[in-house]
Amino acid sequence: MPGTPFSATVRHEDGGSVIDLVGDIDRNAGDGLTAAYQEATLGRDQGSPVVLSFRDVDYINSTGIAVIVTLLAKARADGRSLRAWGLSPHYQEIFQITRLADFMTLFETEPQALAVS
Amino acid sequence: MDQRKDDANWSPPRQHLEIGDSPADFNTGRVQGRRLTGPQQGFGQLWQKTYKVAIPNRTPEQIIATWKAEYGRFWPSNSRFYAPVTGIKPGEVGLIKSNQGPVPLSTGVLVLYSDDTSFSYMTPEGHPFAGFITFSAYEDEAAGTIAQVQLLIRTNDPLYEAGMIAFGSRAENKMWEHTLRSLADYLGSSAPVDTSIVRVDRKRLWKNFRNIRYNGALPWVRKVRSS
Repeated sequence: MPGTPFSATVRHEDGGSVIDLVGDIDRNAGDGLTAAYQEATLGRDQGSPVVLSFRDVDYINSTGIAVIVTLLAKARADGRSLRAWGLSPHYQEIFQITRLADFMTLFETEPQALAVS
Repeated sequence: MDQRKDDANWSPPRQHLEIGDSPADFNTGRVQGRRLTGPQQGFGQLWQKTYKVAIPNRTPEQIIATWKAEYGRFWPSNSRFYAPVTGIKPGEVGLIKSNQGPVPLSTGVLVLYSDDTSFSYMTPEGHPFAGFITFSAYEDEAAGTIAQVQLLIRTNDPLYEAGMIAFGSRAENKMWEHTLRSLADYLGSSAPVDTSIVRVDRKRLWKNFRNIRYNGALPWVRKVRSS
């Protein structure tokens, strides 16, 4: 089945920066996700979290999980909180198996993800 | 979220490795019941290592089908991979015996993900690395079809980190270069293997220092120190 091209756009909200992810997260998502993270954190203090919105993500494969782990490592090296919302129950389960959820808090809604200090 | 049904590609939920039948000469104690470790559960610096080779005139699906079916065949002679009885399928466990370093290693991997063009392993406590190993094949406009191994790993503890600096990293590179060379030879390609190594995070995760309690080389270290 042909995939949906990946894109990532950044919004700056009161509680932090939100990266809206769209399409398939696979090997091709790495550069776009890294660029979005850089845009999201540029000029923002370290305490400002980055929230990944998975609401419009269609598909994540194992190379996509590796891309997200790489971003998580970058955020933790920066001392910055990386959060996620909008994951389906299936992908929440995948985040548990891969132990991504040990280090990235998963939220049901975007306001919840932005509200935690 | 309107998603494709990929449930069957991923391992069922599990936190510990469970192995069924195993070879008589394999020490299952270093695998059975061990927790899975992603890169953030490891200790050492985080590395992304990518090894790839061009295999023209084969489709990604053909390459991955061959790789899964003949996985152990492509390994170096000083290591052995015991594939799951049912094949490389999500949720299955592969067992590994290796004599690459100064201490023989018995460990295993979970088949985390598998589809027609890729499959991934995840490592358990006591394995030299914490992380993922992804095998994939894809079309490249210039080179034709590419077969690739990509590791996203930290060493699991300070002892493995020291060993990795001393000799392990080079041995790891040689091992995967050998694997891809063998796969390419088997599929009729003589293209060179390309290796790319990126340090993703230079920090060591000292809070995971205690992973060393699972290190299978500890008895050997104690013996050497006391002799």
